Amino acid sequence: MKTLIKSAALAALTAGLMTSVAALPAAAETLKFVSWQVDDGGMGDWWKAAIEKFEAEHPGVTIEFTKVERASYADTMTTLFAGGQPPHIVHLASFEYQNFAENGWMENLDPWLEKDGIDLAGWAGQGTCRWNDETACIMMLYFGFMMAYNPQILADANVEVPTNYEEFLDAARATTKDLNGDGITDQFGTGHETKGGAGQYLTEMLNYILDAGAYWTDKDGNITIDTPEMVEGLTRWKTVVEEGLTPVDMSAGDVRKLFADGKIAMRLDGPWLYGTMEEGAAADVLEVAKPPFNPPLGGSSNVLGMASEISDEQKELVWDFIKITMSPEFQRSYATVAGNTPPSPAADVSGVEKDVPHFQIIVDTQKAAAAAGIDRIPTGLEIQYGEFGKMVQEEVQRMLIEDLDPADVVKTMQEKAEAIQNG
Amino acid sequence: MSKSGIFDLARPSRQHILGYLLLAPAVFLVLLIIAYPLLISLDLSFQDVKLPRIGETRKPFTLTNYQRLFSSSEFWMACWVTLKLVAAVTVGSLIVGVSTALLVNQRFAGRTLARIAVALPWAVPEVIAVVIFAWIFDSSFGLMSWILVKLGLADGMVAWMSTPGAAFWALTVTMIWKGFPFVSIMTLAGLQSIPTDYYAAAKVDGANALQRFRWITIPCLMPVLGVTLVLVMLWVFRDFSIIKVLTEGGPLKSTQTLSIMTYDQAFGFFKFGYASAVGIVTLIICVVASLAMLGRGSKALY
Repeated sequence: MKTLIKSAALAALTAGLMTSVAALPAAAETLKFVSWQVDDGGMGDWWKAAIEKFEAEHPGVTIEFTKVERASYADTMTTLFAGGQPPHIVHLASFEYQNFAENGWMENLDPWLEKDGIDLAGWAGQGTCRWNDETACIMMLYFGFMMAYNPQILADANVEVPTNYEEFLDAARATTKDLNGDGITDQFGTGHETKGGAGQYLTEMLNYILDAGAYWTDKDGNITIDTPEMVEGLTRWKTVVEEGLTPVDMSAGDVRKLFADGKIAMRLDGPWLYGTMEEGAAADVLEVAKPPFNPPLGGSSNVLGMASEISDEQKELVWDFIKITMSPEFQRSYATVAGNTPPSPAADVSGVEKDVPHFQIIVDTQKAAAAAGIDRIPTGLEIQYGEFGKMVQEEVQRMLIEDLDPADVVKTMQEKAEAIQNG
Repeated sequence: MSKSGIFDLARPSRQHILGYLLLAPAVFLVLLIIAYPLLISLDLSFQDVKLPRIGETRKPFTLTNYQRLFSSSEFWMACWVTLKLVAAVTVGSLIVGVSTALLVNQRFAGRTLARIAVALPWAVPEVIAVVIFAWIFDSSFGLMSWILVKLGLADGMVAWMSTPGAAFWALTVTMIWKGFPFVSIMTLAGLQSIPTDYYAAAKVDGANALQRFRWITIPCLMPVLGVTLVLVMLWVFRDFSIIKVLTEGGPLKSTQTLSIMTYDQAFGFFKFGYASAVGIVTLIICVVASLAMLGRGSKALY
């Protein structure tokens, strides 16, 4: 009898527990969201506002928003996915998501878009999110470059704001100076990152390469490095670096800081430069203009997606969050709060220029870059972008160190790029 | 025998069981944290795999990664750079470390402060030390170039990080600065364990300072120096953060060691099978070099 009572009690307890657990799926859910933008002024606030709205609409569901430094981001995400513990909401750079999608780790978003009748036609940079004929992600930012400059330095050197490469080079030469005569340059005409990651190195060079009419690949993914235009692009880069018109061996962050503090005359950069400019010693004098290069450099920046292996209930929640970020309200605040150009073609950005004076310039360059089909990630080399970038960076460094002819360098780069592409 | 007798670990004949039991958690942790990933890496190195996943079906066995590795000029260059760096940093750390240990072993006013100063670089976190040296060796505004220009030893700023030779020596100096205090502390401990009678007897026999150093100090320090050298060598071999932050292995792979190559292949190019092969070969080189060093250098001469 005792045994019977014990068994009955145990069965009742188990049933009770199972019922209560079954009744709680949404109430106890926590979605993991890892990003490098948690503390970024503007972008961090925008993400937090989206999370707040999501949590208000889904009582009991919380989003655990965790920061991972950009420098170790790919390592961390690789480890999380490889260990079978991916974040539910997947935030990646647009040049690194392809390897995750190729492995089947990212959910195909086509059925979700179809279910809600969302049309992404005209969504800036969305083409980059298509992988193996599926929508692997939603493009969060497709940017256009701007040229920030220091009018005082230009005026002291008696030069105008440049409107093409030749004028830019003249202005850079005129404003690079040893101000105190100690043999050390104190003020630079322009500033580029020449140390650190290959991705940023290639981005800096692309300003000159695109203006010269060159690119790494064509639309079909064929390598197009060995061309006279690329020789011209590399020659321009070599000129700027060899003549000491830019400080060398600096990270992009250091270069931005130098510009913001009034040590650099002109800096070509994305919309994110504005945040650094506002904090610098020369904040009151710095201005923004259209880049002197045509087409302007632009490109996809970061993407949002969901892990493919999470439960269906979690996928529903993640999709709800992605939809919030795509909503007209948040596409507008992407401009007003984050100071970036929203990818949605329907985003209402009226009046943003009151808070971000140069907003129209970055909208125009974004459109110009998108119209010219510009992106930092070359078609046909998406999966090998890390290896390709490293190769290009090394060959360009070799050109500078050993004073090689760009015409010979493009031949080597063409050969090596084809070898990388063919595995 | 009673049940309680078997579990009476206080009995002298059962003390080895107690020892094993106490060691078990540590051994388990080592197996979990070191041995298990090592086995996974070994397994991955024999597969053609880009991005692996725990629990995924194993890919077919292949020797491709090792064949590619041994025929790659990049691998042999990384071996050469690693060897050069190990030799330069180990010798540099040994010279500076032993010299400073001999200095702070003397009695003089401010000796305690001098000992703290010698140990200070050891206490500075590696990344912070590297950031300091990155500024010292900055190519546009760095202190080192400024000093060279002021002394008339350079015409202009030296591009430390975009010149292969300069980058290697900037890295070596940084690593010696970070590594010498360990040699110094170990040597100081070794010096203090040498009986003063040895020196007194040598003095009576008419030995001068150099002879006492050559025939007493060095032989008595050999066990300490042998182990210290192996530890310094292994530290340089596996160090990642100093190189990654200071030079990223560049320019032109002039500072790319085996550990940087492993990282780049795995997390930069997503070639985990190949990266595992590099890691396994690095491990084998480390083990062989350590055994050779311990066998030769760690025996006292007296």
